[in-house]
Amino acid sequence: MIAAHDSLIVHMITRVLLPVIQLYGIYVLFFGQYGPGGGFVGGVIFGASLILTLLVFGARSNENYLAKRALRADGLGLIIYAGIGGLCMIFAGQFLNYSAVPLPGFDPPATRSLGILGTMIGVAVDIAVTSISIVDSLSFADEEGRLV
Amino acid sequence: MTSQAVCLIFLLPFSAAVAMPMLGAWRRSWCRPLALSAVGLMALFAFSACYDVLTQGPVRYALGGWDPPVGIVLVLDGLSGLLAVALSLVSLACLFFGGPALPKDLGSKVVPYHTLVLLMISALAGVTLSGDLFNLFVFLEVSALCAYALVGLSGGRALIAAFRYLILGTIGASFYLLGVGYFYAATGTLNMEDFLNRLPDALHSKAVLTGLTFILLGLAIKAAMVPFHGWLPDAYAHAPDAVVPLLASLVTKVSLYAMTRITFWVLGASTLTYEFPLLFLLSMGGTVGAVVGAFLALTQQDLRRMFAYGGISHVGLIVIGITAGNQTGFSGGVFYLANDAVMQATLFFIAGIIMYRCGARDLNQLGHLGSQMPWTSAALIVTALSMIGIPPTGGFFGKWYMVLGALEAKNYLAVAAILSSTLLTLAYFVRIIERMFGEKPSNASAAQLASEEPVEMRVSMGALAASIILLGLFSDRIVGLILRSAVPPGLG
Repeated sequence: MIAAHDSLIVHMITRVLLPVIQLYGIYVLFFGQYGPGGGFVGGVIFGASLILTLLVFGARSNENYLAKRALRADGLGLIIYAGIGGLCMIFAGQFLNYSAVPLPGFDPPATRSLGILGTMIGVAVDIAVTSISIVDSLSFADEEGRLV
Repeated sequence: MTSQAVCLIFLLPFSAAVAMPMLGAWRRSWCRPLALSAVGLMALFAFSACYDVLTQGPVRYALGGWDPPVGIVLVLDGLSGLLAVALSLVSLACLFFGGPALPKDLGSKVVPYHTLVLLMISALAGVTLSGDLFNLFVFLEVSALCAYALVGLSGGRALIAAFRYLILGTIGASFYLLGVGYFYAATGTLNMEDFLNRLPDALHSKAVLTGLTFILLGLAIKAAMVPFHGWLPDAYAHAPDAVVPLLASLVTKVSLYAMTRITFWVLGASTLTYEFPLLFLLSMGGTVGAVVGAFLALTQQDLRRMFAYGGISHVGLIVIGITAGNQTGFSGGVFYLANDAVMQATLFFIAGIIMYRCGARDLNQLGHLGSQMPWTSAALIVTALSMIGIPPTGGFFGKWYMVLGALEAKNYLAVAAILSSTLLTLAYFVRIIERMFGEKPSNASAAQLASEEPVEMRVSMGALAASIILLGLFSDRIVGLILRSAVPPGLG
């Protein structure tokens, strides 16, 4: 069971930092198309922000509703991944052959890039959910205190 | 337009597995129908893809549209097609069996059970389809991770067995990965077909031999070949009843398939396999395993441990067949592999039903059950006939071809091993059957029968017991099919 942190300074600084961390996580996710970054790292940073809310505000507070919601989304990221792959199969391409999807106004290389971005979003969601559920199972081993 | 069936064999159980946690949080009762329909559809696609392969030749499915050797490819040829069909049918039966047993030993863990089982089935299908050495490792590792979690799912003593399995399985996987690294260093490719083409240049490098040693050691641990079988009996004896049939019938068999694939298709039957006494070494391992496993089975008191050691002895038999070095032995070994998957599943179904109805696991508690559980005893007798190798069951024909193959190769030691393991198998089944039809035990507590086993359990047990006989009756056609389309090129 994680209790809320008792320092007002920590609370206020966390409130300021949270949106910045989450924005940075999303930036890293999208920047992965052009340089170092991508789904895994972006997901880890985003998941770290959720863990931070849990540590600072405690398990019982309303501030970490996103972390509680995330625990229910187990597998969502992989569904996004498999769904995009399946979409390519519906358009008669191989699994994950994004260029087979006919998007109006996009040539095949651009479609590929978009498809990779979509699967990376799936990966990021999955990593974030996994990190928060690891914290959940490590710190709430007693059944009554679980987040969900 | 490419045929999507090859990819769907792998993808259907995978998608169902990742959808399972969210579905299970919403409607727990929908987990089982979803799992069953996903595996059922998988079996249909496996059938259609296998039919295409047998009529039109092997299919290569380049994931993402990137052609091999650069891209990752799924390959469905005769051997993997037949194995995919067997795998999907056996796992369908195991899933069907598992439902009613669930509340008893898993409690609220219905959702994790279905997720892990589907993920494991998809990973095992991935191993059979993989055309790439590294992806084979990934799929093996995914299936193994699911297997560790499934063994430990019910907690308690199972956790210790699961931990031991995890340690040994991870050592096996690391050896395999290390071997793949050596292979890559020697040839610069991971694609199986490309590797075969580049192998002649690298044939006498020490890296290939070292890599081969590591890969075979790793897969021998995964396949529970004697003397690397230590993890298996504990894991199977303590895992939940709904899980063991799946583990026993598929996990070790798929590792054996990987070993076969690498020995004959990656290294090439004609080059390294014959210059280096690889087949001989493997065959010796199988010979020892067949006898030692059966002997250890004879000494067991716990029903599930006895079946587990029986499985180890059969792994040895399959290895003897596959490494006989001629087509007869090879096709006999492959046929016996499919048979053994069915037989192991049936045996652990029977153990599960006995456990469900009277809570008995020890041989001494089995007294007088024979007349009270006629269906279960009938299935046990059919399976026993097949395990021993008496016609018209599938086990007889498998052993027959393997003995013919060993005679053709003038490997009389292997013939002796097959025959003596047959005798030992006969001995331990006689022990079980004698107890089942024997007198009532003195303590009355042993005969506390639950009313009836659920119909799902009986149906899946009956279906597999019937398919043992069907495999025997149609053995001519199946072995002919294997001979035509699934033997490796260059095998004499």
